[in-house]
Amino acid sequence: MNTLSEIFRKRGYSRRDFLKFASLTTALLGLPPSMFPEIVHALETKPKPVVIWLEFQDCAGCSESFIRSTTIMPTEVLLDFISLEYHETLMAPAGEYAEESKKEAMERYKGKYILVVEGSVTPNGVYCTVGGKSNYELLKEAAENTAAVVSVGSCASWGGIPKAEPNPTGAVPVYEALKGKQVVNIPGCPPIGDVMVATIVHFLALGKLPPLDNLGRPKTFYGQTIHDRCYRRAFYNAGKFAESFDDEKARNGYCLYKVGCKGPITRNACPTIRWNGGLSFPIQSGHPCFGCSEPDFWDRGFIYRPLSVVETGFGVEKIAAGVAVGAAAGAGIAWINKKLRGGKK
Amino acid sequence: MIDVEFYDFVRGPLLEFALYFFFAGIAYRFLRVLLLGLPKDYAKPKGNPLAKAIEKIALKPTQGWRFFMEVFAHRGIQYIGGFLFHVGFLGLTFFVPQHAFLWKEIIGFEPPYMPQLVADILAYSALFSLFALTVHRVFNPVLKLLTGKDEYFANILIGIVIFTGLFATRWSGGGLYVWMLNLHMLSAVILIIYIPFSRLSHFVYYFLSVFFYGWNVGKRGVSF
Ligand code: SF4
Ligand code: SF4
Repeated sequence: MNTLSEIFRKRGYSRRDFLKFASLTTALLGLPPSMFPEIVHALETKPKPVVIWLEFQDCAGCSESFIRSTTIMPTEVLLDFISLEYHETLMAPAGEYAEESKKEAMERYKGKYILVVEGSVTPNGVYCTVGGKSNYELLKEAAENTAAVVSVGSCASWGGIPKAEPNPTGAVPVYEALKGKQVVNIPGCPPIGDVMVATIVHFLALGKLPPLDNLGRPKTFYGQTIHDRCYRRAFYNAGKFAESFDDEKARNGYCLYKVGCKGPITRNACPTIRWNGGLSFPIQSGHPCFGCSEPDFWDRGFIYRPLSVVETGFGVEKIAAGVAVGAAAGAGIAWINKKLRGGKK
Repeated sequence: MIDVEFYDFVRGPLLEFALYFFFAGIAYRFLRVLLLGLPKDYAKPKGNPLAKAIEKIALKPTQGWRFFMEVFAHRGIQYIGGFLFHVGFLGLTFFVPQHAFLWKEIIGFEPPYMPQLVADILAYSALFSLFALTVHRVFNPVLKLLTGKDEYFANILIGIVIFTGLFATRWSGGGLYVWMLNLHMLSAVILIIYIPFSRLSHFVYYFLSVFFYGWNVGKRGVSF
């Protein structure tokens, strides 16, 4: 049982289900409908991809999101489809056996496996040491002979919460630790499971990565902001804003900008793919987007204040301080001038 | 450079610095003007300087209409362009929702805000009138002589602030939006820093100069 269509059949799904998955994935990836037969053919003939999944400074939320990606692919099919040769949270073996199997997989699938990284890396520390090797060593070792490196989640993509001020462990994102190597970033806290699956399917079916933006994110999913595709946008344009959570206005669909929505600067696919099987997404549930898929979102520490205010605050005391300094300088210089002029007389 | 990191920098430390600089700069200039130290005028006032000064502050904008036809005939572009520009620019500065939220933080009071459509109309009218006023400056022989680098720089800077704001909200999506927002905020920050030390600070001296003018008119007992 090696191809995706076979796995669907083995798990009791019909060919119709398989074709539905293939057409949904083609649409999700923004590929033209004419490519549908090519995708179907590839998923019927190509062996399932081999994945080595490393976890460093993370919370395993991305893994959770990944295995619960139920919109396009049933979980049991997914777990069969992705040949997870190594995944600390999901694999059965532990300790030396686990390390052995990873080593073996890296040898056997040299140049062919996809390396997925979850969590940030600490090049100057010995955090997340496994089998006597630091996370940085483990990453470099696994990235050496991989077909592609995929960073899942904001920690692997940008450093995430571990890198938030004051960054006690010296965390860096994967692309910085692997300078010179192409890294696909799938940011989000966590990222949408379907986006991770679709990116891997693209690589499997077409043998190449999907088109990426200059920060390594698949353009199809991260090419537009939440704001661009938000259903509350009409209210934003009309200047109608909710004043607090769950007030009458919020419930009537008014824009959440004033209660802190970071949608205008956040690129992610939440409004289109949504969460929990396409049920809803935060803004639809009444909570502003806090920009989890953008770099340093955790340090943008004004979650419930409008995006346009001064991050550190600027009120009457600061105005008074500025005015006092300016007035003192003005009066001082005027006084000196007067003295000098007086002196000339 | 990552666009949101740059955005955080502009909206964070840079904007804060600019605001400090603005208030300090305005206070500095104001004090310097106040304490210019004009020689004392010992002549006996012929009228009531204080009453005239207060009258001018309260009524000067309306009194200008007495000369309207006369002046309008010669300076139509300046009148219409100047009016449209000021209404547009001030309207955008205070009553665009995003700006109103910022004002609330600074002055503790939230100005009423307007829908995007009205903001668009104001932005277009401010932008076109600014363009017309600038062209007028270049070709009008008298204005040309009165115009220095300061005016051209200010006009271009304000033009960039309005244009990038309009561009960001209206036409750009995705990644471009954040860069446009960055440009908009960066040019606004430069403008905020530039205001106290340019003629743009005229809005601060308006009341002071009208008071001074009214005082002198009153002192000399002139009727207008
Ligand atoms: S809720 Fe957020 S994303 Fe939606 S329109 Fe308002 S600001 Fe934009
Ligand atoms: S709506 Fe914003 S904060 Fe919420 S998951 Fe999507 S990108 Fe992250």
